[in-house]
Amino acid sequence: MKTIFQASGISKHYGTTCALRDANLALKAGQIHALMGENGAGKSTFVKILVGAVRPDGGEIVLAGQPVRFGSVRDALNQGVVPVYQHSTLFNQLTVLENLSAFGLGTARRSWAKRNCLDRQQANEVLRLVGLDVSLDSLVNELSLGERQLLEIARGVGRHCSVLILDEPTAALGAREADRLHETLQVLCAKGTAILYISHKIDDIKRMADAVTILRDGRTVVNAAARDDISAAQIVQHMLGQTFEPQALCVSNRGDVVVEAKDIRLAAGAQPFSLCVHQGEVLGIVGVAGSGALRLGEVLAGAASGHGATLSLSGTTQIINDRQSAMRAGIGYVPSDRHADGLFLGLSALKNASASVLQRFSSWGVLRLREEAGPFDALIAQFNLNPARLDLNASDYSGGNQQKLLFLRNLVLPNLQMLVVLEPTRGVDIGARESIHQALRELACSGIAIVVVSSDLLEVNTLCHELLVVASNRVVGRMTADAQTDAVLSMMAGAC
Amino acid sequence: MTTFIKQRSAIALGSRIGVIAIPLVVFIVCVLFVPRFLSVDNLQNVLRVGSILLIAACGQAAILIVGGIDFSMGSAVALLSVVTVILAPEHGVALAFACGMCVAVLAGLCNGLLIAYLKLPAFLVTLGMLMVLHGLASLLSGGMPLDAAPSPSFLWLGSGHVAGIPVPIVLAVLAVLSLHFLLRYTVAGRGWFLVGTNFNAAVNAGLPARRSVLLAYVVAGLFCALAGAILTSRVGSGQPNLYPDLAFATIAVCAIGGIPLNGGRGSAVQVVCGALIIAMLNNAVVLLNLTSAWQQLLMAAVIAAAVLLPQLHTVRRRYTHLFKGNAQ
Repeated sequence: MKTIFQASGISKHYGTTCALRDANLALKAGQIHALMGENGAGKSTFVKILVGAVRPDGGEIVLAGQPVRFGSVRDALNQGVVPVYQHSTLFNQLTVLENLSAFGLGTARRSWAKRNCLDRQQANEVLRLVGLDVSLDSLVNELSLGERQLLEIARGVGRHCSVLILDEPTAALGAREADRLHETLQVLCAKGTAILYISHKIDDIKRMADAVTILRDGRTVVNAAARDDISAAQIVQHMLGQTFEPQALCVSNRGDVVVEAKDIRLAAGAQPFSLCVHQGEVLGIVGVAGSGALRLGEVLAGAASGHGATLSLSGTTQIINDRQSAMRAGIGYVPSDRHADGLFLGLSALKNASASVLQRFSSWGVLRLREEAGPFDALIAQFNLNPARLDLNASDYSGGNQQKLLFLRNLVLPNLQMLVVLEPTRGVDIGARESIHQALRELACSGIAIVVVSSDLLEVNTLCHELLVVASNRVVGRMTADAQTDAVLSMMAGAC
Repeated sequence: MTTFIKQRSAIALGSRIGVIAIPLVVFIVCVLFVPRFLSVDNLQNVLRVGSILLIAACGQAAILIVGGIDFSMGSAVALLSVVTVILAPEHGVALAFACGMCVAVLAGLCNGLLIAYLKLPAFLVTLGMLMVLHGLASLLSGGMPLDAAPSPSFLWLGSGHVAGIPVPIVLAVLAVLSLHFLLRYTVAGRGWFLVGTNFNAAVNAGLPARRSVLLAYVVAGLFCALAGAILTSRVGSGQPNLYPDLAFATIAVCAIGGIPLNGGRGSAVQVVCGALIIAMLNNAVVLLNLTSAWQQLLMAAVIAAAVLLPQLHTVRRRYTHLFKGNAQ
């Protein structure tokens, strides 16, 4: 196999900050190549350079034997380097066919616009190639997340595509959809496309990738190691520059019932069910995208209607039906989409962290600003918040550290009894993931009930005492942590 | 990282100085090029005229910060003036003003209830309110301006003095100080910033987001009522067309001061700077004997400049901050 796309010695400075020092990458045709690195290792800058969104300060890029300099993303697209981003760039109000033609329109010459659009037959061929079985006339917002991801790939490969760059393609996908995506990638690979696959999920990488390149501190520390030459532990070690012991489960000191939820319906007309969450227990909820698992988490947090569900706190008959009363009752909540539903991105980290406890440092509605930061000093150190300060804008923190800010907000709740965490480590690097897991374990040990909803089975397995499997808007299984992963998987898939 | 932080705080400091520097530049330009601008009487006049706009703009700022907008202020002050003038002869000046101001606060309350709890778009609700209130003011007054009996007590708010300082200026200073206090030092003000930045996140953090929106409209109603009362006293009559474009003028004040229309940001200082710039330019245009057409064109140019300048700033910084994500 020949090297088709090569970047060597790439460097990039932003002001006096050095994002990339010496990044190298060599993609071979017909190969899936994984690019890994912690948040802040320079991955996103590197990718932006590869797709022409950012110009490098130094180094050279060679495409099919020719040195290239991409002036823009469109420039790179025209030469066959196609990016597929983590966040959807599809037009939700338009049809599948219109979306497939969208890249063509960019190169259209005024009145000849039509000529550059795909006709229906070509479009169907492209869809078949990526294994997507939808009508050309269906609207994008009727598609599932997995189908959208495939459509995005289809749009890329519908044109001349020699290098496909995928940024965290499975971050939002359930297990089944991820498998389908992987099959598609294999097909594309077999046709000779070089694929760069950026992901945090080591499992995916070990299963999928032919070669692995790892970035740390803006340098390539592992260059195109063959998959079988590098173990998962070694990957982690190279990414972090240190080794890392998986933590043992905290012994369950399950206590009294904290929250009792009755008559939960995850969709109008679905089977109602009830469940209890106990002190000191970590309850995991798993389910594929669209199964209702996330919805169940939202209902337990008081953030979504359970279609007649009642949520009551132990010992009291208090009924909770919105976030405000849930918070007053001591139910913390970390939503799954931290940008849309969790953070105040334009405001300081301190204002983000203190948002739920304004009463704590105010009297008669007047804030005592000097006391605002007090409770966070110890927590910042405990969580390794980086940068370890709260006066910066929340948008200046990396994904993992933004997630930590949301945890800080909940940990200072004066009467925290239960913490509901949705997708605690989605799009978060390994270091942050470990400190978040550690914090959850410590919270559980101190007697707080934890509910974790996650599409990451490994995470749930290492973290939770008990597992609820949700499929088709109902609980289809309940098992202890040592259950076989295969059994859980079949349950998640079975009832769909 | 530390260099980045230093850069960031230097930029923050720069824009903070910029906010105060621009009115200063306008002031110096006026002093140099506009005859008779620099006199105690004229400057007092600038402030007295500007104070009404400033007080109303304090209300608009609160609404913009919470992520809303209010187009109804012009009609609210009109209805206020008509109600006040109608009630004054029978019920006394004080009670008449109190009732008139209640009308404006009620209008704010209605806006707030419809927007916060019925989830209607602020744009349409307040536009509708603009028409409803104007209709009511026209009905009550018969479409004609009603003159108030010229008593010193009626005119005191607009033309009186406290310790030698015109009452409108004193009230404007009090309004600005209370807005500053509300925004910086109260739970309510913090709530406006949080809700205006991300409504969903505010709900999920357990904040009373809807109440926060409602409160902003009520507080804006209060500021608007104060501005309307001063204006009514100043003109000494009740007019259905008292200050039809007050809402647009207040939005212009906020925009010139640098308060974005998409919520979550803004300060009392910015409102003051925006109002001062507009007041000085209005005054200069009158002193230079320019027609009102020129006045409007000049105002348009100033607003365009105020909105574009920070954008240029962003474009320049765009590349250096790309990798930081949403750099403000």
